[in-house]
Amino acid sequence: MNYLLPERLDALAREYTIGTLHGGARRRFERVLREHAAAALAVGEWQRHFDTLAAGAKPLAPSAALWSGLEQRLFGAPAAARKAPWWQTLLSGPALGGALAGVLLAVVVLRQEPAWVGLETAQEGLPASYVGLLTDASGKPTILASSRRHGRLLTVKLLQPVVVPPGRVAQLWALPKDGSPAFPVGVVPALGSGTIRLPEPSEKLFFNVARLAVSIEPAPVAAGAKPSGEFVLSGHCVKLW
Amino acid sequence: MASANPARSDELARLLGRVALQDRAAFEQVYRRTSDHLLGLAFGILNRRDRAEDVLQEAFMNVWYGAANYNPAIAAPMTWLINIVRNKAIDKLRSGKTERATTVELDDEAMNIAADPAQAPQQLFADSLVRTRIDGCMAGLAAAQRQAIALAYYRGLVHTEIAETLGAPLGTVKAWVRRGTDKLRDCLQAAGVSAA
Repeated sequence: MNYLLPERLDALAREYTIGTLHGGARRRFERVLREHAAAALAVGEWQRHFDTLAAGAKPLAPSAALWSGLEQRLFGAPAAARKAPWWQTLLSGPALGGALAGVLLAVVVLRQEPAWVGLETAQEGLPASYVGLLTDASGKPTILASSRRHGRLLTVKLLQPVVVPPGRVAQLWALPKDGSPAFPVGVVPALGSGTIRLPEPSEKLFFNVARLAVSIEPAPVAAGAKPSGEFVLSGHCVKLW
Repeated sequence: MASANPARSDELARLLGRVALQDRAAFEQVYRRTSDHLLGLAFGILNRRDRAEDVLQEAFMNVWYGAANYNPAIAAPMTWLINIVRNKAIDKLRSGKTERATTVELDDEAMNIAADPAQAPQQLFADSLVRTRIDGCMAGLAAAQRQAIALAYYRGLVHTEIAETLGAPLGTVKAWVRRGTDKLRDCLQAAGVSAA
């Protein structure tokens, strides 16, 4: 079916926006919406009309627990002042070049300059042990993820922005070496950098992980969930030491 | 409503820009300014506070992670937020339908809201048009069209459910929604409330 015929698009956009489009048809149209600017524009137009209707809805004050729960889910415990890990400085910017080469470089540096690692240790603990590099479909390096061996934080740095449609999130998954199902790790920011709190220490979580991947999901997924669609990014996850 | 007030809308757009840079204080501001209104919309659809609050929390997680994708040139900030919340509420409503069919649950809040005529969807519809000073558009819509649109927009009902609620044939209900929204759009555009 050609969704993009103007009349059909207008009808679908109207039904999607007011909500009467449902089931499989709604999911299919959401896919069209992600891929075609014309569909997004058609929906945008109906949203503006229906916004008028939102004005009459009766406001309802959320409970205080909602905000604190949100803070907890997003930020965990109050964040302590955090320095950029050594590898981030090393690998950031144009110096990165081929990113896999970057990972190798880090290994080489670690092997040749143990004293340098020692210096870092004195300042801020051990350097990252697990490093993952995710590339997009064209092979362009997109996300660099790292974690200390016994740490419970995964640092994520975006090397180029990730396109996430409105109302969706970029969900990071870990793919075990033994081929067992991917498990969710957390949500990556759309740009810049951030940290993901891990449910367990990195060593336990990533010891048997060969690859990391990102899928686009309607909301952060719970443990035990499966990716709803294809991976938009993926790459190797290696243990440096 | 923010989108009806350009100054408030600009401020909200600026705050979302800060959220895109992971500014937590700006994120809290966005939440404080919009959560009452957004929770009201989610509650209208889900009719249960706990489920509506779950939706709002998920929606704001999306706001935090997705603010970088917000484009002020395409949508007013409130339009963007409403869209996230309504879509999540609609998904939750529909995913919960099978669950509710097997568990009968009496919800005090649900009972109260049903008994309050001010919460009737057609009343919300009328209030919206009065609030945005376009009550003139009401006259152009038949009562049945207003009712059908209101049940879809505020309650998240699909055509078959609206037909059941209003005791009308499915084809008729589809035409009410289609023609009613056409008229609403034409009237809003003529009134200069929403640009073409």
